[in-house]
Amino acid sequence: MQTFLQLLFSGLALGSIYALVALGFVVIYRSSQVFNFAHGEFVMLGAFLMISLVRGGVWWIVALLITMVVTGAVGMGVERSVLRPMIGRPVFVTVIVTIFVGALMRVAINLIWGGTERGMPTPWDNTGVMEILGARVLFNSVAAIVATAVVLIGFYLLFQRSRIGVGMRATASDQEVALGLGIPVGRVFGFSWFLAGSLAALAGVFLGMFPRIVDGNIWLIALVAFPAVLIGGLESPLGAVIGGFALGVVQLLAQGYVNPLLGTFGNNFHQVFPYVVMIGFLMFKPYGLFGTHEVERV
Amino acid sequence: MLEINNLEVVYNKVILVLRGISLTIEDGQIVAFLGSNGAGKTTLLRAITGLLDIHNGDVTKGTGSYDGKPLFGPDPDAIVRRGISHVMERRRIFADLTVEENLRSGAFTRRDAGIKDDLEAQYERFPVLGERRNRTAGYLSGGEQQMLAVARAMMARPKMLLMDEPTLGLAPRLVEEVAQVIKDLNAEGIGVLLVEQNASVALQIADHGYILETGKVVHDGPAEQLREDEDVKEFYLGVGGDGRRNYREVKHYRRRKRWLS
Repeated sequence: MQTFLQLLFSGLALGSIYALVALGFVVIYRSSQVFNFAHGEFVMLGAFLMISLVRGGVWWIVALLITMVVTGAVGMGVERSVLRPMIGRPVFVTVIVTIFVGALMRVAINLIWGGTERGMPTPWDNTGVMEILGARVLFNSVAAIVATAVVLIGFYLLFQRSRIGVGMRATASDQEVALGLGIPVGRVFGFSWFLAGSLAALAGVFLGMFPRIVDGNIWLIALVAFPAVLIGGLESPLGAVIGGFALGVVQLLAQGYVNPLLGTFGNNFHQVFPYVVMIGFLMFKPYGLFGTHEVERV
Repeated sequence: MLEINNLEVVYNKVILVLRGISLTIEDGQIVAFLGSNGAGKTTLLRAITGLLDIHNGDVTKGTGSYDGKPLFGPDPDAIVRRGISHVMERRRIFADLTVEENLRSGAFTRRDAGIKDDLEAQYERFPVLGERRNRTAGYLSGGEQQMLAVARAMMARPKMLLMDEPTLGLAPRLVEEVAQVIKDLNAEGIGVLLVEQNASVALQIADHGYILETGKVVHDGPAEQLREDEDVKEFYLGVGGDGRRNYREVKHYRRRKRWLS
């Protein structure tokens, strides 16, 4: 039981990072039908920026805010300069463009920061542990879960209640009509990229605490979080969040319970397991959990 | 007052859709545009509201003004702010948003405190929307969706409504209902530019009518005059000079009459 709880909490912490990354994917895809393959690089940018800021003596929470805003702004810049002119082009063109943008960002980050590993500074004891229901949980995990929960609630309110949120959903639903109603669709795209960028930065900061190192390969998280997007459904923010948490939990439970059954073959089976789940979904429920039904009256 | 002079619109740089259209719409009038498919009615509305760009269309000639200020700028939201709202063909409500969210999206250009009151005003005008304010809009009936599209456009507090075939695909009783709504809005001082294929309904409620054919205005005049016009009767109202006509006997060239006016 105790092992189970421990795995569950670690799974939720990891899942919260997946959820943030997956949500960023979905926000951009929904608003502008762009599949952003540079998303992992935003995560990477956030992590490196945060480390530099904190080492530079900026107060941790302030550094986090600056990191999120700057990364968001970079996202907005990418949208404005590279993707806005691509509006109306086939999807594969934007896909290739984002892959290219991602490569450029990776190179730029390596140039600025170098590829060496570094630790993510935390205001709390990095290896500190607290007991919840008898399970020993890292402070880092608790912080990731709490911060993600706060951000997700904020995002929900923004998306469902605010003026810009209604504008975003209207744009996702029918771009031409949104334009006709006077919703500045271009700025809505920019705002979506800003949101996605800052979500990615937050994910990067917490991701840096888990392996407790930040290096040149941290962008690969985007590929790992990918099954979460498909499990939840490409167009559903709620699905992305649920998919993300589910993925994290499933992955750690697999590590705890499935890996030992497989002997030597099972050493890193949990790394592959999310893809097994994803393939299952693609075969039997290709639109994911929440991404399905088009609203239509029959 | 909306004034357009010699407007020419080209799609994809080659397809000439409007070939020199001129028109004048006084404030508070209902003006009907009649014409068959491809005559350029929808293009005319797109030109006014600045939606040509996303269809790869350009205004290549001509000028336009609304309340003395020039039209055909690049920003659709500027037009909405100036008081022209567009109700698009086939209703085009946001199907996955609720009724209330649809209405709020219509008020996106506004930041004043009057939005709440206007919401209630729309629910009063269309009680059925009030009953279903938290329902997903895609599940409304066709007539209700049309009402929602009109109410959504009204949320921007327009002085002029451009309506693209509001009666399309509606049952006859609903067509009358829509016509009544247009008359009511007009009675409140809102100008309406009505694009219709249902000529008899359009000419009943309009003050003035224009007839478009292949991108040109071929005929225009006060609505009551058009209703009595022999050619309009024959080609748009479906009644010939001598009552009903058997179309099998009509020669092809007679059906596709060229207008000389």
